[in-house]
Amino acid sequence: MTDSMNGLEMALDRLLLADANALDSKDMKGWLANYAEENEASYYCRAAENTEHNLELGFMFDDCRARLEDRVTYVTEIWAGTFQDYRTRHFVQRVSHRQIDASTAEAMSNFSVFMTPMDTGVTQILAAGRYLDMVRLSGDGRAKFLSRRAELDTSVLPRYLVYPI
Amino acid sequence: MADVTLTWPKNYNEVPKAAFTRSDLYSEEIKRIFHGPEWHPVAHESELPNPGDFRTIRLAGIPLLISRDEGGEVRVFYNACSHRSNQLETAVMGNKTEFECPYHRWLFSAKGELVGCPNPREFVPGFDKADYPLGQPRFELFYGLIFVTFSAETEPLDQFLGESGETLRELMASDGRLKLLGYQKVRYDSNWKGYNDNDGYHAPLLHAAFKMLNWQGGKGRQYTATKRGHVCFESALSVASGPSVLKDKDLIAFKGQDPSVGSRIVQLFPTFVSTKHLDVINLRFATPIDAETTEVHYAYFAHQNDDADMLRHRLRQSSNLLGPCGLISMEDASIFHRIHIGSHTPGNAIFQKGVRDPGKLESEFSQNDESGNLPRWEYYRSVMGFERAEA
Ligand code: FES
Ligand SMILES: [Fe+2]
Repeated sequence: MTDSMNGLEMALDRLLLADANALDSKDMKGWLANYAEENEASYYCRAAENTEHNLELGFMFDDCRARLEDRVTYVTEIWAGTFQDYRTRHFVQRVSHRQIDASTAEAMSNFSVFMTPMDTGVTQILAAGRYLDMVRLSGDGRAKFLSRRAELDTSVLPRYLVYPI
Repeated sequence: MADVTLTWPKNYNEVPKAAFTRSDLYSEEIKRIFHGPEWHPVAHESELPNPGDFRTIRLAGIPLLISRDEGGEVRVFYNACSHRSNQLETAVMGNKTEFECPYHRWLFSAKGELVGCPNPREFVPGFDKADYPLGQPRFELFYGLIFVTFSAETEPLDQFLGESGETLRELMASDGRLKLLGYQKVRYDSNWKGYNDNDGYHAPLLHAAFKMLNWQGGKGRQYTATKRGHVCFESALSVASGPSVLKDKDLIAFKGQDPSVGSRIVQLFPTFVSTKHLDVINLRFATPIDAETTEVHYAYFAHQNDDADMLRHRLRQSSNLLGPCGLISMEDASIFHRIHIGSHTPGNAIFQKGVRDPGKLESEFSQNDESGNLPRWEYYRSVMGFERAEA
Protein backbone atom coordinates (compact mmCIF):
# COMPACT_ATOMS: atom_id res chain seq x y z
CA MET A 1 0.00 0.00 0.00
CA THR A 2 1.46 3.25 -1.05
CA ASP A 3 -1.51 5.49 -0.31
CA SER A 4 -2.33 5.75 3.32
CA MET A 5 -5.89 6.40 4.33
CA ASN A 6 -6.87 10.01 4.55
CA GLY A 7 -8.64 11.53 7.52
CA LEU A 8 -12.11 11.21 6.02
CA GLU A 9 -11.64 7.55 5.21
CA MET A 10 -10.41 6.90 8.71
CA ALA A 11 -13.34 8.72 10.26
CA LEU A 12 -15.85 6.83 8.10
CA ASP A 13 -14.33 3.44 8.86
CA ARG A 14 -14.20 4.18 12.56
CA LEU A 15 -17.91 4.95 12.44
CA LEU A 16 -18.75 1.82 10.41
CA LEU A 17 -16.87 -0.36 12.86
CA ALA A 18 -18.27 1.39 15.92
CA ASP A 19 -21.78 0.70 14.64
CA ALA A 20 -21.04 -2.95 13.90
CA ASN A 21 -19.49 -3.30 17.32
CA ALA A 22 -22.43 -1.66 19.11
CA LEU A 23 -24.97 -3.83 17.29
CA ASP A 24 -23.04 -7.06 17.80
CA SER A 25 -22.63 -6.19 21.49
CA LYS A 26 -26.39 -5.43 21.73
CA ASP A 27 -25.36 -2.05 23.08
CA MET A 28 -28.35 0.01 22.00
CA LYS A 29 -27.13 3.14 23.80
CA GLY A 30 -23.86 2.78 21.94
CA TRP A 31 -25.80 2.32 18.70
CA LEU A 32 -27.71 5.55 19.36
CA ALA A 33 -24.47 7.36 20.14
CA ASN A 34 -23.33 6.75 16.56
CA TYR A 35 -26.09 9.06 15.31
CA ALA A 36 -25.87 12.83 15.13
CA GLU A 37 -27.72 14.77 17.82
CA GLU A 38 -29.79 16.51 15.16
CA ASN A 39 -33.56 16.03 14.94
CA GLU A 40 -33.26 14.73 11.37
CA ALA A 41 -30.98 11.87 12.41
CA SER A 42 -32.55 8.78 10.87
CA TYR A 43 -32.22 5.06 10.36
CA TYR A 44 -34.09 3.01 7.77
CA CYS A 45 -33.98 -0.71 7.14
CA ARG A 46 -35.87 -2.01 4.16
CA ALA A 47 -35.76 -4.47 1.30
CA ALA A 48 -34.03 -3.01 -1.75
CA GLU A 49 -36.92 -4.55 -3.66
CA ASN A 50 -39.23 -1.96 -2.11
CA THR A 51 -36.86 0.90 -2.87
CA GLU A 52 -36.45 -0.16 -6.48
CA HIS A 53 -40.21 0.02 -6.93
CA ASN A 54 -40.52 3.39 -5.20
CA LEU A 55 -42.10 1.81 -2.15
CA GLU A 56 -40.78 3.58 0.90
CA LEU A 57 -42.11 1.18 3.51
CA GLY A 58 -39.49 -0.70 5.47
CA PHE A 59 -38.84 -3.08 8.33
CA MET A 60 -37.71 -0.10 10.38
CA PHE A 61 -38.53 3.50 9.59
CA ASP A 62 -36.90 5.76 12.14
CA ASP A 63 -36.98 9.10 10.38
CA CYS A 64 -36.16 11.34 13.33
CA ARG A 65 -34.05 11.35 16.47
CA ALA A 66 -37.13 10.64 18.65
CA ARG A 67 -37.71 7.40 16.80
CA LEU A 68 -34.09 6.36 17.19
CA GLU A 69 -34.47 6.89 20.91
CA ASP A 70 -37.74 4.94 20.88
CA ARG A 71 -36.01 2.05 19.15
CA VAL A 72 -33.65 1.78 22.10
CA THR A 73 -36.76 1.57 24.33
CA TYR A 74 -38.36 -1.13 22.15
CA VAL A 75 -35.34 -3.37 22.44
CA THR A 76 -34.25 -2.76 26.00
CA GLU A 77 -37.64 -2.34 27.70
CA ILE A 78 -40.70 -3.27 25.68
CA TRP A 79 -39.56 -6.49 24.03
CA ALA A 80 -37.25 -7.69 26.76
CA GLY A 81 -37.77 -11.35 27.57
CA THR A 82 -40.32 -12.14 24.85
CA PHE A 83 -38.21 -13.35 21.94
CA GLN A 84 -35.60 -15.95 21.11
CA ASP A 85 -32.46 -13.94 21.45
CA TYR A 86 -29.71 -14.23 18.90
CA ARG A 87 -26.13 -13.13 18.37
CA THR A 88 -25.17 -11.22 15.27
CA ARG A 89 -21.88 -10.51 13.52
CA HIS A 90 -21.81 -7.65 11.06
CA PHE A 91 -19.16 -7.62 8.32
CA VAL A 92 -18.91 -4.22 6.74
CA GLN A 93 -16.84 -2.95 3.85
CA ARG A 94 -16.83 0.57 2.57
CA VAL A 95 -17.00 0.58 -1.24
CA SER A 96 -17.33 4.29 -2.07
CA HIS A 97 -17.56 7.67 -0.43
CA ARG A 98 -17.71 11.34 -1.31
CA GLN A 99 -17.23 14.51 0.67
CA ILE A 100 -20.17 16.85 0.11
CA ASP A 101 -19.09 19.86 2.15
CA ALA A 102 -16.94 20.61 5.16
CA SER A 103 -19.35 18.93 7.55
CA THR A 104 -21.05 16.31 5.38
CA ALA A 105 -20.00 13.18 3.52
CA GLU A 106 -21.78 10.21 2.03
CA ALA A 107 -20.61 6.64 1.98
CA MET A 108 -21.75 3.32 0.62
CA SER A 109 -20.74 0.04 2.23
CA ASN A 110 -21.56 -3.61 1.73
CA PHE A 111 -22.68 -5.64 4.68
CA SER A 112 -23.42 -9.22 5.57
CA VAL A 113 -24.84 -10.24 8.90
CA PHE A 114 -24.60 -13.67 10.46
CA MET A 115 -27.18 -14.67 13.01
CA THR A 116 -26.81 -17.34 15.65
CA PRO A 117 -29.99 -17.95 17.65
CA MET A 118 -29.12 -18.68 21.27
CA ASP A 119 -31.52 -21.63 21.48
CA THR A 120 -30.31 -23.51 18.40
CA GLY A 121 -26.70 -22.37 18.23
CA VAL A 122 -26.86 -22.90 14.49
CA THR A 123 -25.38 -20.00 12.54
CA GLN A 124 -27.22 -18.74 9.49
CA ILE A 125 -27.16 -15.66 7.32
CA LEU A 126 -29.56 -12.98 8.50
CA ALA A 127 -29.18 -10.49 5.67
CA ALA A 128 -26.89 -9.08 3.02
CA GLY A 129 -27.08 -5.68 1.45
CA ARG A 130 -25.58 -2.27 1.57
CA TYR A 131 -25.59 0.79 3.75
CA LEU A 132 -26.20 4.19 2.20
CA ASP A 133 -24.96 6.64 4.78
CA MET A 134 -25.07 10.40 5.09
CA VAL A 135 -22.47 11.35 7.62
CA ARG A 136 -21.98 14.44 9.79
CA LEU A 137 -18.33 15.38 10.28
CA SER A 138 -17.22 17.35 13.28
CA GLY A 139 -14.12 19.49 13.53
CA ASP A 140 -12.25 16.98 15.64
CA GLY A 141 -12.24 14.42 12.82
CA ARG A 142 -15.14 12.39 14.17
CA ALA A 143 -18.13 11.21 12.16
CA LYS A 144 -21.73 10.40 13.08
CA PHE A 145 -24.65 9.18 11.02
CA LEU A 146 -27.04 11.85 9.87
CA SER A 147 -28.93 9.15 8.07
CA ARG A 148 -28.31 5.49 7.51
CA ARG A 149 -30.27 3.36 5.07
CA ALA A 150 -29.75 -0.37 5.31
CA GLU A 151 -30.95 -1.57 1.91
CA LEU A 152 -31.39 -5.32 2.08
CA ASP A 153 -30.75 -7.60 -0.87
CA THR A 154 -32.51 -10.09 1.36
CA SER A 155 -36.11 -9.31 0.52
CA VAL A 156 -37.38 -12.30 2.50
CA LEU A 157 -35.91 -12.28 5.99
CA PRO A 158 -35.51 -15.42 8.00
CA ARG A 159 -37.96 -14.73 10.85
CA TYR A 160 -37.95 -11.29 12.52
CA LEU A 161 -35.61 -8.48 13.50
CA VAL A 162 -35.13 -7.33 17.06
CA TYR A 163 -31.97 -5.30 16.60
CA PRO A 164 -31.35 -2.90 13.74
CA ILE A 165 -29.13 -4.17 10.94
CA MET B 1 -60.59 -42.90 2.64
CA ALA B 2 -57.93 -40.98 4.57
CA ASP B 3 -54.42 -41.74 3.42
CA VAL B 4 -53.13 -40.51 6.73
CA THR B 5 -54.83 -40.94 10.06
CA LEU B 6 -54.67 -39.03 13.29
CA THR B 7 -57.06 -39.63 16.14
CA TRP B 8 -58.57 -36.37 17.27
CA PRO B 9 -59.50 -35.84 20.93
CA LYS B 10 -63.20 -35.95 21.75
CA ASN B 11 -63.29 -32.42 23.19
CA TYR B 12 -63.56 -29.52 20.77
CA ASN B 13 -61.05 -27.50 22.78
CA GLU B 14 -58.20 -29.99 22.31
CA VAL B 15 -55.87 -30.14 19.33
CA PRO B 16 -53.31 -32.92 18.95
CA LYS B 17 -49.85 -31.39 18.87
CA ALA B 18 -48.96 -33.94 16.22
CA ALA B 19 -51.09 -31.89 13.82
CA PHE B 20 -48.33 -29.26 13.84
CA THR B 21 -45.41 -31.61 13.54
CA ARG B 22 -46.18 -34.80 11.64
CA SER B 23 -44.47 -34.39 8.31
CA ASP B 24 -46.63 -37.05 6.67
CA LEU B 25 -49.67 -34.79 7.04
CA TYR B 26 -48.14 -32.08 4.93
CA SER B 27 -48.52 -33.55 1.45
CA GLU B 28 -52.09 -34.49 2.28
CA GLU B 29 -52.76 -30.90 3.39
CA ILE B 30 -51.35 -29.56 0.16
CA LYS B 31 -53.62 -31.85 -1.81
CA ARG B 32 -56.80 -31.39 0.22
CA ILE B 33 -56.47 -27.77 1.31
CA PHE B 34 -53.99 -25.74 -0.73
CA HIS B 35 -54.69 -27.40 -4.05
CA GLY B 36 -58.20 -28.32 -2.95
CA PRO B 37 -61.53 -26.49 -2.74
CA GLU B 38 -60.44 -23.37 -0.85
CA TRP B 39 -59.98 -19.75 -1.94
CA HIS B 40 -56.57 -18.15 -1.36
CA PRO B 41 -55.96 -14.40 -1.49
CA VAL B 42 -52.84 -13.79 -3.57
CA ALA B 43 -52.67 -10.01 -4.01
CA HIS B 44 -54.73 -6.85 -3.96
CA GLU B 45 -55.24 -5.28 -7.35
CA SER B 46 -53.80 -2.01 -6.02
CA GLU B 47 -50.44 -3.80 -5.98
CA LEU B 48 -50.58 -3.57 -9.76
CA PRO B 49 -52.19 -0.18 -10.31
CA ASN B 50 -51.11 0.58 -13.89
CA PRO B 51 -51.68 -1.10 -17.24
CA GLY B 52 -48.90 -3.64 -17.77
CA ASP B 53 -48.12 -4.04 -14.06
CA PHE B 54 -47.54 -7.60 -12.97
CA ARG B 55 -46.57 -9.62 -9.93
CA THR B 56 -45.40 -13.18 -9.51
CA ILE B 57 -45.75 -15.38 -6.47
CA ARG B 58 -45.74 -19.04 -5.57
CA LEU B 59 -48.70 -20.38 -3.67
CA ALA B 60 -48.08 -23.77 -2.09
CA GLY B 61 -45.47 -24.37 -4.76
CA ILE B 62 -47.61 -23.27 -7.71
CA PRO B 63 -46.10 -20.34 -9.63
CA LEU B 64 -48.59 -17.61 -10.46
CA LEU B 65 -48.41 -14.54 -12.67
CA ILE B 66 -50.89 -11.78 -11.94
CA SER B 67 -51.06 -9.12 -14.60
CA ARG B 68 -53.03 -6.06 -15.61
CA ASP B 69 -53.49 -5.73 -19.34
CA GLU B 70 -53.45 -2.52 -21.41
CA GLY B 71 -57.19 -2.18 -20.93
CA GLY B 72 -56.84 -2.34 -17.15
CA GLU B 73 -58.19 -5.84 -16.61
CA VAL B 74 -56.51 -8.01 -13.96
CA ARG B 75 -56.01 -11.70 -14.58
CA VAL B 76 -54.24 -14.57 -12.86
CA PHE B 77 -52.19 -17.07 -14.87
CA TYR B 78 -49.94 -19.96 -14.09
CA ASN B 79 -46.45 -18.55 -14.39
CA ALA B 80 -45.42 -21.28 -16.80
CA CYS B 81 -44.99 -21.23 -20.54
CA SER B 82 -47.73 -23.10 -22.40
CA HIS B 83 -45.05 -24.89 -24.46
CA ARG B 84 -42.98 -26.99 -22.06
CA SER B 85 -43.74 -25.10 -18.83
CA ASN B 86 -40.59 -23.07 -18.40
CA GLN B 87 -41.16 -20.47 -15.64
CA LEU B 88 -42.31 -17.54 -17.76
CA GLU B 89 -41.51 -14.44 -15.67
CA THR B 90 -38.77 -14.28 -13.04
CA ALA B 91 -39.23 -10.74 -11.70
CA VAL B 92 -41.29 -10.43 -8.52
CA MET B 93 -42.95 -7.32 -9.88
CA GLY B 94 -42.63 -5.06 -12.86
CA ASN B 95 -44.39 -3.66 -15.89
CA LYS B 96 -44.70 -5.52 -19.20
CA THR B 97 -47.35 -5.85 -21.80
CA GLU B 98 -45.75 -8.94 -23.33
CA PHE B 99 -44.06 -11.91 -21.73
CA GLU B 100 -41.45 -13.78 -23.73
CA CYS B 101 -40.33 -17.24 -22.74
CA PRO B 102 -36.57 -17.28 -23.46
CA TYR B 103 -36.36 -21.04 -23.96
CA HIS B 104 -37.94 -21.24 -27.42
CA ARG B 105 -39.11 -17.63 -27.63
CA TRP B 106 -42.86 -18.10 -27.39
CA LEU B 107 -44.43 -14.73 -26.78
CA PHE B 108 -47.57 -14.01 -24.72
CA SER B 109 -49.72 -10.93 -24.32
CA ALA B 110 -50.78 -9.59 -20.92
CA LYS B 111 -54.14 -11.19 -21.71
CA GLY B 112 -52.37 -14.55 -21.82
CA GLU B 113 -52.72 -15.13 -25.57
CA LEU B 114 -49.89 -16.79 -27.43
CA VAL B 115 -49.05 -14.08 -29.95
CA GLY B 116 -45.92 -15.47 -31.50
CA CYS B 117 -43.70 -18.55 -31.73
CA PRO B 118 -40.76 -19.27 -34.07
CA ASN B 119 -41.06 -21.90 -36.81
CA PRO B 120 -44.65 -23.04 -36.25
CA ARG B 121 -44.70 -24.65 -39.71
CA GLU B 122 -42.54 -27.42 -38.27
CA PHE B 123 -44.91 -28.07 -35.36
CA VAL B 124 -47.49 -30.83 -35.10
CA PRO B 125 -49.76 -30.51 -38.16
CA GLY B 126 -52.80 -28.37 -37.38
CA PHE B 127 -51.01 -26.44 -34.60
CA ASP B 128 -53.02 -23.34 -33.74
CA LYS B 129 -51.69 -20.57 -31.49
CA ALA B 130 -55.21 -20.06 -30.17
CA ASP B 131 -54.99 -23.47 -28.47
CA TYR B 132 -51.97 -22.43 -26.40
CA PRO B 133 -52.79 -19.49 -24.16
CA LEU B 134 -51.28 -19.32 -20.70
CA GLY B 135 -53.11 -21.62 -18.32
CA GLN B 136 -55.26 -20.04 -15.64
CA PRO B 137 -56.56 -21.08 -12.25
CA ARG B 138 -60.03 -19.89 -11.22
CA PHE B 139 -59.87 -16.45 -9.67
CA GLU B 140 -62.31 -13.87 -8.31
CA LEU B 141 -61.96 -10.34 -6.95
CA PHE B 142 -63.51 -9.00 -3.76
CA TYR B 143 -63.10 -5.23 -3.39
CA GLY B 144 -59.86 -5.61 -5.30
CA LEU B 145 -58.57 -8.54 -3.27
CA ILE B 146 -57.64 -11.29 -5.71
CA PHE B 147 -58.51 -14.85 -4.70
CA VAL B 148 -57.39 -18.00 -6.46
CA THR B 149 -58.59 -21.58 -6.22
CA PHE B 150 -57.16 -24.65 -7.90
CA SER B 151 -60.32 -26.70 -7.65
CA ALA B 152 -63.40 -26.64 -9.86
CA GLU B 153 -65.49 -27.65 -6.85
CA THR B 154 -64.88 -24.58 -4.70
CA GLU B 155 -68.09 -22.68 -4.05
CA PRO B 156 -68.37 -19.06 -5.26
CA LEU B 157 -66.19 -16.63 -3.33
CA ASP B 158 -69.19 -14.87 -1.71
CA GLN B 159 -70.25 -18.11 -0.08
CA PHE B 160 -66.71 -18.90 0.97
CA LEU B 161 -66.46 -15.56 2.76
CA GLY B 162 -69.94 -15.52 4.27
CA GLU B 163 -70.31 -12.95 7.02
CA SER B 164 -66.54 -12.34 7.10
CA GLY B 165 -66.85 -10.49 3.79
CA GLU B 166 -68.45 -7.49 5.44
CA THR B 167 -65.69 -7.21 8.04
CA LEU B 168 -63.09 -7.67 5.32
CA ARG B 169 -64.65 -4.89 3.26
CA GLU B 170 -64.52 -2.51 6.23
CA LEU B 171 -60.94 -3.53 6.87
CA MET B 172 -60.01 -2.54 3.32
CA ALA B 173 -61.17 1.05 3.91
CA SER B 174 -64.77 0.07 3.06
CA ASP B 175 -64.33 0.43 -0.69
CA GLY B 176 -61.10 -1.45 -1.48
CA ARG B 177 -59.63 1.62 -3.18
CA LEU B 178 -56.17 1.07 -1.75
CA LYS B 179 -52.72 2.32 -2.57
CA LEU B 180 -49.69 0.10 -1.99
CA LEU B 181 -47.05 1.33 0.47
CA GLY B 182 -44.72 -1.66 0.35
CA TYR B 183 -43.83 -5.05 1.74
CA GLN B 184 -42.23 -6.77 4.67
CA LYS B 185 -41.49 -10.40 3.75
CA VAL B 186 -40.34 -13.09 6.15
CA ARG B 187 -40.10 -16.83 6.54
CA TYR B 188 -41.16 -18.27 9.87
CA ASP B 189 -39.81 -21.55 11.18
CA SER B 190 -43.30 -22.75 11.85
CA ASN B 191 -45.86 -25.06 10.40
CA TRP B 192 -48.55 -22.99 8.62
CA LYS B 193 -51.11 -23.95 11.24
CA GLY B 194 -48.89 -22.66 14.03
CA TYR B 195 -48.61 -19.37 12.21
CA ASN B 196 -52.41 -19.27 11.94
CA ASP B 197 -53.23 -20.29 15.49
CA ASN B 198 -52.52 -16.86 16.99
CA ASP B 199 -55.44 -15.99 19.27
CA GLY B 200 -57.33 -13.18 20.95
CA TYR B 201 -56.21 -14.18 24.43
CA HIS B 202 -52.55 -13.29 24.12
CA ALA B 203 -52.67 -9.69 22.92
CA PRO B 204 -52.68 -7.79 26.24
CA LEU B 205 -50.43 -10.42 27.86
CA LEU B 206 -47.64 -11.08 25.39
CA HIS B 207 -47.44 -7.57 24.02
CA ALA B 208 -46.01 -5.46 26.82
CA ALA B 209 -46.34 -2.36 24.65
CA PHE B 210 -50.05 -2.14 25.47
CA LYS B 211 -49.37 -1.74 29.15
CA MET B 212 -46.31 0.44 28.74
CA LEU B 213 -48.18 2.82 26.47
CA ASN B 214 -51.30 2.95 28.64
CA TRP B 215 -53.18 1.42 25.78
CA GLN B 216 -56.33 -0.48 26.70
CA GLY B 217 -57.62 -2.87 24.06
CA GLY B 218 -60.94 -1.75 22.60
CA LYS B 219 -64.02 -3.67 23.66
CA GLY B 220 -65.30 -5.69 20.83
CA ARG B 221 -66.63 -8.74 19.19
CA GLN B 222 -64.96 -11.88 17.91
CA TYR B 223 -66.94 -14.20 15.69
CA THR B 224 -66.38 -17.00 13.27
CA ALA B 225 -67.92 -17.20 9.82
CA THR B 226 -68.91 -20.20 7.72
CA LYS B 227 -68.09 -23.84 8.35
CA ARG B 228 -64.42 -22.96 7.79
CA GLY B 229 -64.29 -20.94 10.98
CA HIS B 230 -62.85 -17.74 9.46
CA VAL B 231 -62.04 -15.65 12.53
CA CYS B 232 -63.10 -12.00 12.61
CA PHE B 233 -62.53 -9.32 15.21
CA GLU B 234 -64.43 -6.06 15.27
CA SER B 235 -63.63 -3.58 17.96
CA ALA B 236 -64.00 0.07 18.64
CA LEU B 237 -61.02 2.25 18.01
CA SER B 238 -58.75 2.42 21.00
CA VAL B 239 -55.98 4.93 21.36
CA ALA B 240 -53.33 5.12 24.00
CA SER B 241 -53.93 7.71 26.70
CA GLY B 242 -51.84 9.00 29.55
CA PRO B 243 -48.10 8.90 29.88
CA SER B 244 -46.17 6.85 27.40
CA VAL B 245 -42.60 5.69 27.12
CA LEU B 246 -42.56 6.72 23.48
CA LYS B 247 -41.01 9.98 22.32
CA ASP B 248 -42.67 9.82 18.92
CA LYS B 249 -46.37 9.65 19.80
CA ASP B 250 -47.39 9.56 16.14
CA LEU B 251 -46.50 5.89 16.03
CA ILE B 252 -49.71 5.11 17.89
CA ALA B 253 -51.83 8.08 16.81
CA PHE B 254 -55.12 7.78 14.93
CA LYS B 255 -55.48 10.36 12.17
CA GLY B 256 -58.14 8.67 10.12
CA GLN B 257 -61.46 10.17 9.22
CA ASP B 258 -63.81 7.54 10.47
CA PRO B 259 -63.29 6.34 14.05
CA SER B 260 -66.46 4.22 13.85
CA VAL B 261 -64.45 1.65 11.95
CA GLY B 262 -61.99 0.91 14.72
CA SER B 263 -59.89 -2.23 14.62
CA ARG B 264 -60.62 -5.13 12.34
CA ILE B 265 -58.96 -8.50 11.93
CA VAL B 266 -60.03 -11.07 9.38
CA GLN B 267 -58.34 -14.41 9.30
CA LEU B 268 -59.52 -16.68 6.49
CA PHE B 269 -58.94 -20.39 6.32
CA PRO B 270 -56.33 -21.57 5.62
CA THR B 271 -53.59 -18.93 5.92
CA PHE B 272 -54.73 -15.40 5.18
CA VAL B 273 -54.57 -12.75 7.91
CA SER B 274 -55.54 -9.11 7.50
CA THR B 275 -55.69 -6.28 9.99
CA LYS B 276 -56.75 -2.70 10.21
CA HIS B 277 -55.43 -1.07 13.33
CA LEU B 278 -55.21 2.70 13.88
CA ASP B 279 -54.24 3.85 10.36
CA VAL B 280 -52.50 0.65 9.32
CA ILE B 281 -54.13 -1.47 6.63
CA ASN B 282 -52.22 -4.72 6.35
CA LEU B 283 -52.90 -7.77 4.18
CA ARG B 284 -50.69 -10.77 4.94
CA PHE B 285 -50.34 -13.22 2.08
CA ALA B 286 -48.93 -16.48 3.36
CA THR B 287 -47.93 -19.80 1.88
CA PRO B 288 -46.46 -22.95 3.30
CA ILE B 289 -42.94 -23.65 2.02
CA ASP B 290 -42.64 -27.02 3.71
CA ALA B 291 -44.01 -28.67 6.85
CA GLU B 292 -41.82 -26.46 9.04
CA THR B 293 -41.66 -23.20 7.11
CA THR B 294 -44.25 -20.56 6.30
CA GLU B 295 -43.53 -17.52 4.15
CA VAL B 296 -45.54 -14.38 4.81
CA HIS B 297 -45.67 -11.25 2.70
CA TYR B 298 -46.98 -8.38 4.78
CA ALA B 299 -48.39 -5.84 2.31
CA TYR B 300 -49.32 -2.39 3.62
CA PHE B 301 -51.73 0.06 2.10
CA ALA B 302 -52.97 3.61 2.19
CA HIS B 303 -56.25 4.81 0.70
CA GLN B 304 -56.39 6.42 -2.73
CA ASN B 305 -58.00 9.55 -1.27
CA ASP B 306 -55.26 10.13 1.31
CA ASP B 307 -53.51 13.48 1.16
CA ALA B 308 -49.72 13.72 1.42
CA ASP B 309 -49.79 14.05 5.24
CA MET B 310 -51.96 11.01 5.70
CA LEU B 311 -49.85 9.00 3.27
CA ARG B 312 -46.75 9.91 5.23
CA HIS B 313 -48.44 9.05 8.52
CA ARG B 314 -49.52 5.63 7.24
CA LEU B 315 -46.03 4.93 5.95
CA ARG B 316 -44.44 5.81 9.29
CA GLN B 317 -47.01 3.89 11.30
CA SER B 318 -47.11 0.83 9.05
CA SER B 319 -43.35 0.34 8.98
CA ASN B 320 -42.91 0.28 12.74
CA LEU B 321 -46.11 -0.94 14.35
CA LEU B 322 -47.57 -4.26 13.24
CA GLY B 323 -45.16 -6.37 11.22
CA PRO B 324 -42.47 -8.92 11.99
CA CYS B 325 -40.37 -6.15 13.55
CA GLY B 326 -43.26 -4.00 14.76
CA LEU B 327 -43.51 -2.45 18.18
CA ILE B 328 -46.66 -4.34 19.17
CA SER B 329 -46.18 -7.48 17.11
CA MET B 330 -42.57 -8.57 16.95
CA GLU B 331 -43.19 -10.96 19.82
CA ASP B 332 -45.78 -12.86 17.75
CA ALA B 333 -43.10 -13.89 15.28
CA SER B 334 -41.06 -15.53 17.97
CA ILE B 335 -44.15 -17.26 19.40
CA PHE B 336 -44.77 -18.92 16.01
CA HIS B 337 -41.33 -20.53 16.30
CA ARG B 338 -41.68 -21.47 19.92
CA ILE B 339 -45.14 -23.02 19.45
CA HIS B 340 -43.65 -25.07 16.65
CA ILE B 341 -40.76 -26.29 18.79
CA GLY B 342 -42.93 -26.91 21.84
CA SER B 343 -45.44 -28.90 19.83
CA HIS B 344 -42.85 -31.64 19.33
CA THR B 345 -44.03 -33.11 22.64
CA PRO B 346 -46.74 -35.66 23.38
CA GLY B 347 -50.39 -34.87 23.94
CA ASN B 348 -52.83 -32.16 23.03
CA ALA B 349 -52.85 -28.38 23.12
CA ILE B 350 -55.81 -27.58 25.34
CA PHE B 351 -57.64 -24.29 24.84
CA GLN B 352 -59.14 -22.70 27.96
CA LYS B 353 -59.99 -19.04 27.57
CA GLY B 354 -63.60 -18.61 26.50
CA VAL B 355 -64.41 -22.34 26.46
CA ARG B 356 -67.75 -22.71 28.21
CA ASP B 357 -68.45 -26.28 27.17
CA PRO B 358 -65.73 -28.49 25.64
CA GLY B 359 -68.46 -30.54 23.98
CA LYS B 360 -69.85 -27.62 21.96
CA LEU B 361 -68.61 -25.32 19.21
CA GLU B 362 -69.69 -21.70 19.30
CA SER B 363 -69.44 -18.86 16.82
CA GLU B 364 -69.56 -15.74 19.01
CA PHE B 365 -66.70 -14.93 21.37
CA SER B 366 -65.29 -12.12 23.43
CA GLN B 367 -62.37 -10.16 22.15
CA ASN B 368 -59.82 -11.88 24.35
CA ASP B 369 -61.00 -15.49 23.97
CA GLU B 370 -58.76 -18.11 22.45
CA SER B 371 -61.76 -20.33 21.67
CA GLY B 372 -62.40 -18.44 18.42
CA ASN B 373 -59.84 -20.72 16.78
CA LEU B 374 -61.79 -23.90 17.53
CA PRO B 375 -64.30 -23.87 14.63
CA ARG B 376 -61.35 -23.61 12.25
CA TRP B 377 -59.69 -26.59 13.88
CA GLU B 378 -62.93 -28.57 13.54
CA TYR B 379 -63.05 -27.72 9.84
CA TYR B 380 -59.41 -28.74 9.42
CA ARG B 381 -60.12 -32.04 11.14
CA SER B 382 -63.09 -32.76 8.90
CA VAL B 383 -61.27 -31.82 5.68
CA MET B 384 -58.38 -34.07 6.64
CA GLY B 385 -60.79 -36.92 7.41
CA PHE B 386 -59.49 -37.42 10.93
CA GLU B 387 -61.85 -39.24 13.27
CA ARG B 388 -62.81 -37.68 16.55
CA ALA B 389 -62.47 -40.03 19.54
CA GLU B 390 -65.73 -41.35 20.99
CA ALA B 391 -67.16 -39.53 23.96
S1 FES C 1 -40.83 -23.72 -22.88
FE1 FES C 1 -41.36 -21.69 -23.33
S2 FES C 1 -40.95 -21.53 -25.43
FE2 FES C 1 -40.50 -23.59 -25.01
FE1 LIG D 1 -50.06 -10.67 18.69
